[in-house]
Amino acid sequence: MQRAIESIGIPTIIIAALPPVVRQAGTPRAVAPLVPMGANAGAPHDIEMQTAICRETLQQLEEIESPGKIVPLPYEYHAMI
Amino acid sequence: MSLTVVKGLQSEIFVPITPPPVWAPVTKPLNEMIIGLATAAGVHRKDDKKFNLAGDFGWRQVDSDSKPEDLMVSHGGYDNSDVNKDINCMFPYERLKELAAEGFIKGVATHNVGFMGGGGNIQKFTDETGPAIAKFFKEQGVDAVLMTAG
Repeated sequence: MQRAIESIGIPTIIIAALPPVVRQAGTPRAVAPLVPMGANAGAPHDIEMQTAICRETLQQLEEIESPGKIVPLPYEYHAMI
Repeated sequence: MSLTVVKGLQSEIFVPITPPPVWAPVTKPLNEMIIGLATAAGVHRKDDKKFNLAGDFGWRQVDSDSKPEDLMVSHGGYDNSDVNKDINCMFPYERLKELAAEGFIKGVATHNVGFMGGGGNIQKFTDETGPAIAKFFKEQGVDAVLMTAG
């Protein structure tokens, strides 16, 4: 999906909980906070964490210079399930 | 290799192939960009058709003026408990709207996209759903797309 959007000329970035999966799928740009699948953008109702993840993800849109790069983000959330 | 007894042996281990790179350059600063949001987490409006949890290559339009309580998730491939508490966990559209209000980005796309990733008919996703969603964003004049998946 990301590749389809990218290939018609719209730059994309993905917030991934499973970086090896998006690497394998051929992501052009990705970030990887330490989150479980299902809370990629941060813990529920944690507005501060969600905002920081979104903000730094968008910054990486400008900063990543070559396709396939996955940048770790310094945010961590463990789901209590 | 000169010491090989049997030529042409191949590994029995499945080695997946990463597709060739794709790349659309970023041409303007963030504060001049309209950002679209696409999630593979199965987000859709409550009054819209649910995804088939066994695999679904369809997609749903999710507008950024929706209320969080009017949105839901149907996805058979991950634990939905966090996203059921707060849709922004996978569809952080309220956070993007706040970033637009403070001027960090120019705006959020009016129409965004939810689909159900993690399997299904990959051929259909590659040949039909992907290009349809890409066209949907292109026609809106979206400058970049933020995704959550994987």
